[in-house]
Amino acid sequence: MPRVARLHAILWGVFSMGGFIAAFLLPVLIYLVGIAYPLGLWPMANTDPTSAILNHHHLGTLFLFVTVAGSLYHGIFRFQSTLTELGLARAKRALEAIGYLIIIVGILAVAYYLLRLNPSVLSLP
Amino acid sequence: MSKQKPYPEYRRKLGPGWWLSNSHFTQYMIREWTSFFVAVFSLIYIYELSLFATGQKGSALALMKNPGIITFNIVALAFTLYHAFTWFYLIGKVQPIKMGKTKSKPWQALMLNIVLLVILSYTVIWILVLRSG
Repeated sequence: MPRVARLHAILWGVFSMGGFIAAFLLPVLIYLVGIAYPLGLWPMANTDPTSAILNHHHLGTLFLFVTVAGSLYHGIFRFQSTLTELGLARAKRALEAIGYLIIIVGILAVAYYLLRLNPSVLSLP
Repeated sequence: MSKQKPYPEYRRKLGPGWWLSNSHFTQYMIREWTSFFVAVFSLIYIYELSLFATGQKGSALALMKNPGIITFNIVALAFTLYHAFTWFYLIGKVQPIKMGKTKSKPWQALMLNIVLLVILSYTVIWILVLRSG
């Protein structure tokens, strides 16, 4: 398989994985962080969800990284593709470049901030 | 070696509103737009994590309680669930499971995956929130 085709297949594979993550894990994160906490709904009566999740150190950190990074990849990858279908086909290359830039910077930022919040994750065996 | 095509390639030109001409296309485009909410929620949450990580927890919590952000999150949850349900249905359509002489139907994959989604969501809440309370 040519190298470009292989890279293309890998990128679409990661995209598909991100679709599963966005479908199975993102709804509960949006509910906890964006709706239950600010509106005082079950189960977030008194504590903020990000602190509660990060209290579980490695598991919570892993959940946040996988959910946010996977959803970001899936969302940006598909959104730039949607824009090309809405009349921006001529700007396809530029949209792809901007999309991948946001994905790379976003995933590095999630990793960096989660490491700052839970540095002990690096000491895992 | 140049790759010259033996015949002219015909590409139908579509205007920006092509997806309004047919209800299936409209549903497809609504599904594609769910990605916008998935991406924007992820970016907002990364910003909140940056506030947490730089000692500005108060600002992060205030941002979460912003009425505009809450409204966006409610819409984002609805679109994310729409993405999830249509994804589950498509799985059943693309990869039906053979059981003897019969094949599973897409709605069966949809129902099974909705049950899985509920179980998984409750497990996340139980492990990461309720057990720490």
